[in-house]
Amino acid sequence: MKNKFNALLAYFNDLSFKYKTYFLIFIISGGMLCIIILSQISIFTIKQDFDILFDERTRSLIQLENIKDVYQVNIQNTLIDFEKKQINIQQTNEILDLAQEIINKNWISYKNQTKADNREFLSTFIKLFIIKEENYYENEALRNAIMENISNKMQLINQNIININSNMDEISFSNFNFQINSISIYLTSLINYDLSLAINEKHNTDKVFKIIVIFSIISIFIVFLFSIILSSFIINHFKQLHNSLEEKIKDKTKELQRLNNSLEIKISREVSQNRKKDIIMFQQARFASLGEMLNNIAHQWRQPLGSITMIIQSFQTKMSLGKLTPTFVDEKVNDALLLANNMSNTLEDFKNFFSPNKIKSEFSIKNCIEHSIELSKYLLNQENIIVILKVRKDMEIHSYYNELSHVFLNLIANSKDALCSNVNKNDRIIKIIVNKFKKHLVINVIDNGGGIPQNVLPKVFEPYYTTKYKSAGTGIGLYMSKQIIEKHMFGEISCKNISHKIKDDKVFDCSLFTIKIPISLD
Amino acid sequence: MINKDLNILRNFNVLYLEDDENLLKHTSDVLEDFVNNIFAVKTSKEALDVLLNKKVDVIISDILLKDENGIDFLKHIQSKNIHIPAILTTAHTDTNYLLDAIKLKVDNYIVKPINIKELLDSLHDVLLPLVQEKEIRKNKNVIKTISAITDSKQVEIVKYIINSLDKENLFIASYTDIMENFSISKPTLIKLFKDLAEKNILIKVQHKTYRFNENALENI
Repeated sequence: MKNKFNALLAYFNDLSFKYKTYFLIFIISGGMLCIIILSQISIFTIKQDFDILFDERTRSLIQLENIKDVYQVNIQNTLIDFEKKQINIQQTNEILDLAQEIINKNWISYKNQTKADNREFLSTFIKLFIIKEENYYENEALRNAIMENISNKMQLINQNIININSNMDEISFSNFNFQINSISIYLTSLINYDLSLAINEKHNTDKVFKIIVIFSIISIFIVFLFSIILSSFIINHFKQLHNSLEEKIKDKTKELQRLNNSLEIKISREVSQNRKKDIIMFQQARFASLGEMLNNIAHQWRQPLGSITMIIQSFQTKMSLGKLTPTFVDEKVNDALLLANNMSNTLEDFKNFFSPNKIKSEFSIKNCIEHSIELSKYLLNQENIIVILKVRKDMEIHSYYNELSHVFLNLIANSKDALCSNVNKNDRIIKIIVNKFKKHLVINVIDNGGGIPQNVLPKVFEPYYTTKYKSAGTGIGLYMSKQIIEKHMFGEISCKNISHKIKDDKVFDCSLFTIKIPISLD
Repeated sequence: MINKDLNILRNFNVLYLEDDENLLKHTSDVLEDFVNNIFAVKTSKEALDVLLNKKVDVIISDILLKDENGIDFLKHIQSKNIHIPAILTTAHTDTNYLLDAIKLKVDNYIVKPINIKELLDSLHDVLLPLVQEKEIRKNKNVIKTISAITDSKQVEIVKYIINSLDKENLFIASYTDIMENFSISKPTLIKLFKDLAEKNILIKVQHKTYRFNENALENI
């Protein structure tokens, strides 16, 4: 039994949530329906039984009682009065006729009532099948016998009444009274019988009521039980669901946290990598311009070096020819010293440029640009590029000299490359215009190298973007320049293509780089 | 220091094209001791001027000149049918220039800084054929002059003997062979051979075979 119950519980437990709720709904609605039907039945049964008890039984009893009363009071009293000659025969006859009429009427209606004994279907059904109707009080034969006796007595009394005449004797009166008394007795027994029937009926009703109540209670109990069980199942289900969800959420949260942590690590790593990359990029740019500068130094050194070599050798040849005179030596030594001094100055220039001098200093923008032009002079000369510097308003700025110089070198190198590849030797011009606009220093670098192609224009400041042949550029120069101007000097750098009368009123396609630097940060 | 006979340079004029003033001056100072005349110029225009007006035997040119190119200059003068040996100097070891130089049949290519010995050597190398050519022409003239004033038949036979020498300086022939080629009397021929034998120039090794002794010529 317990196993089965457990199995059932397990079965219910295993049911899906959907079926559990269906079950709950089904049981609650079924139980409710049961309860409603049963309560309806009990109400109707009780009502019908009341009807029977109070309407039929009571009425029939009243009718019988009436008949009895009429016999005892009207007929007997009238006969007694008639016997004592207090009323005449005519009056007696009238009263007796009236009494007889009443009796007949009541009797007929009583008889009709007992015949019309139909019951409500449902209670009949219940009484028939569910309870065993206790009919031991009911005895149709006895009742019929009593009724027949009453009918016979009635007829006898009627005959007697008809026979009532002036010549009535004592015996007939006593006989008559006896008959009336006997009929009263019969009537009383019939009443008793009917009463017992009513009591029986009442018992049955009680029984039906009890059964209905029991059924109701059982059904209520079942509904209650099932509701509770199913509710508990559903609650369990919810709990499980809740638990599993909670666990899931915990898992997910943990996962998220882990992800978050790893992301944080990743981000910090990426950030540091980015920083490293930036540093490397700066270094690369430095190296790139170092290379360019080295090229410059090499060029600027080659010539004096060649001359000095020649001077040294000239001593030897003059010596071997015996033509080495003091004047010659003096002259040559002077020349050599001059050349060596020149070389030393060149080195100094570049050394200054590359010194990691990160200190802000006060310097003239004009000097800075002139110096930058000087540093790239050799290449510019070689490519026959004319640099025009127009300083409309020179001013002292407080900034990073070397970095700014670096930017100008980059721009000049860029212009140089454009000019070399696009313009013939006689028209290569770079124009640098310095001006002051409100609180900004504005430097325009213009070259007539034909401008920058539209598809390249948005990308010129991107790192590693280069249009030049691999060996010519690293693609870092302009990116570096932008970084220096924007990050270190809080300025702006932009470029566009313009048409400009750069020389002799002749219009050229030019590219224009504009640098804006705030004059004072304070 | 100087192995080659640089004295041969003394008779030649050099055009030196170099845009670096210092180098031009110092190199010229050195070179002027070795050559007849040095025309030191800074531009191709000046160089062309010199070429048209002066006798130039060799050109020394830098490749990278201000606004121009030594190779272009050489091309230009070659296109004008002026063929003068040239030496290029350059700081560039660029193969592009080298290829151009080879195409132009430049005589030498000197990388800066200039080693004066190397420059003089290559000048010598360039100019030597000119000197030799001169020398040969001179000798020819001498021989021709001598043959004009002496017996021309004997000179012709000497020529024939020298031309017929084999690898070991041996001359193989009989008098009859020679007499068949030249209309010369036998006594004259015998006298000639005898003279040569006396002076140790042509020594009889065996029958019909003579050795030509070059060293004997030095002692005459």
